[in-house]
Amino acid sequence: MSKHEQTPHVPRRKRSARLSLAMMGAGAFGLTACGQPPEEEQITEVTFDEPRSFQSVEDCVAADVYTRSACEAAYEASLEAVPRFSTLEECEAEHGEGACTAPTEEQAQAATGSSGGSWFMPAMMGYMVGNMMSNTNRGRSFERVYQEPVYRNRQNQGNWNAASSQATQRVTQRNDAMRTSVAQTRQTATQRSGFGSRSSARGGWGS
Amino acid sequence: MLRIDIPERKNWKALANELGFHFHTIEGEPYWKEEAYYQFTMEQVEQDIEAPTEELHEMCIELVDKVCHSNALMQRLALPEHMWDSIHNSWKSGQPHLYGRMDFAYSGEGPAKLLELNYDTPTSLYEAGFFQWVWLEQAIEQGILPRHADQYNSIQERLINAMAHLGDRIEARTLYFSCIKDNAEERATVHYLQDVAVQAGLKAPFIFTEDIGLRSGVEHFIDLDDKPIHALFKLYPWEEMADDAFGEHIPQLNTHWFEPPWKAILSNKGILPLLWEHFEGHPNLLPAFFENASSPPLPAGWVRKPFFSREGSNIELITPSGQREAIGGPYTDSPWIRQAYHPMPRFGNNHALIGSWVVGDRACGMGIREDVGRITKDSSCFVPHAIV
Repeated sequence: MSKHEQTPHVPRRKRSARLSLAMMGAGAFGLTACGQPPEEEQITEVTFDEPRSFQSVEDCVAADVYTRSACEAAYEASLEAVPRFSTLEECEAEHGEGACTAPTEEQAQAATGSSGGSWFMPAMMGYMVGNMMSNTNRGRSFERVYQEPVYRNRQNQGNWNAASSQATQRVTQRNDAMRTSVAQTRQTATQRSGFGSRSSARGGWGS
Repeated sequence: MLRIDIPERKNWKALANELGFHFHTIEGEPYWKEEAYYQFTMEQVEQDIEAPTEELHEMCIELVDKVCHSNALMQRLALPEHMWDSIHNSWKSGQPHLYGRMDFAYSGEGPAKLLELNYDTPTSLYEAGFFQWVWLEQAIEQGILPRHADQYNSIQERLINAMAHLGDRIEARTLYFSCIKDNAEERATVHYLQDVAVQAGLKAPFIFTEDIGLRSGVEHFIDLDDKPIHALFKLYPWEEMADDAFGEHIPQLNTHWFEPPWKAILSNKGILPLLWEHFEGHPNLLPAFFENASSPPLPAGWVRKPFFSREGSNIELITPSGQREAIGGPYTDSPWIRQAYHPMPRFGNNHALIGSWVVGDRACGMGIREDVGRITKDSSCFVPHAIV
């Protein structure tokens, strides 16, 4: 107290000279909405339908499920997923004698965008195509095609049914893994209502 | 100090609505009243309110430092143990605070007596800082008050300065504001603070308290877009935060809080007996003690208050002549203090309570609430004041 008695405030005016409001009241809404950062979207759920197997792009187009461009895109993507080796021996050691081949010019073009194919791969027998549906935390859904190559190896010995059943197994494993990881994301996803939820009984908190 | 009847401004309700003051009337009962005002002299304001407020504030800050360095005192104030480090660190690292309000019993004569501190979630801010100021300017303009009339009120100006100061210290000059859902008065108060923050050059997004998010692996609490909240103003008390489901995460995350955790020390009525212990006999303090198991029943001339309570809830008093008054409420789960009864001045049927504002560390204005009862509640009316 003594401090103030010794040095009384010089201006005797005790109130501010001017005040204004920037956003409160009439016509001043919407600031918080404008100030929000853009939405960050995350996939919260994925579902897969049963994939179909095709022995060629023409086969895919003929099935009349996908458009030609979807069939071609899925074929190229499948081809990219076929294991590659730099020598024939390495490939055969993995996939069995007689299972491997150099890519055709067309395959090399499709897989790498250039015709020079100095690599080897198990012989491509066909591919599988299916639909994946994703839902997001913003309530949006989108659909996209997934695919898997069907190729020759030691176990299937070039048998189409055995080869496509192996491809189905790979697809199932991969899809399960994706579902699990999305589910884990969902589990570690944001928790809310951790503050203030007990308070409604007491009304307000100002004092 | 006088209560003087005067004419109301014409169309003040329309103006209030236009300026975002929708709670001038609450559930059909008036909250803002301007058929009268409280008149003070300059000497009363400066010597009896402003100067003691600054002095008491310094005493409080001295105690915060003591409590922060003593686990025994933290325990005595019933502060939850998992918050001790946050409280201590927020104090030691000099985390700034925004504001607080001291409630005084003062009649115009003799020293103002500190009834309690509202240093964590004080409200009636918009009414005191803005609408009261507009009232004075217009009352002068309309010839209701003389030209030389003044008001003890630089609250908003100080708030803008304090916000600008905070803005320099927080990430991207962004301060989130929050209060709980379904409470129009609190939302309006927070809206006003957002307005002040914007005027101080801050970004001031809003999030409801219930919507604050937590995500493992993220070092801050997060907003509705899962973006980190670096700094957050909360109109929600520390003792509740600490007990809430997310409470244990507060010390682990880097979100800066306003008010900072050390304010938990001053928003606690246990501070009143501590003030009396350390500054016994100070003219602005009332005798106060911790209640314990061997305390006798409340004697005449004493008031009983829970450590944590808001808007007069769970306060019981017995006047020296034996009249008992009590307000019920939900705050029964914390310890209690006892404070000597000191009458508030009575004007007609109304008891007046002075709310003296501190912004940053400066006393800067006041607002007056009145109630027919001796305990000021959330339904108590706000009446403007002027220095004439």
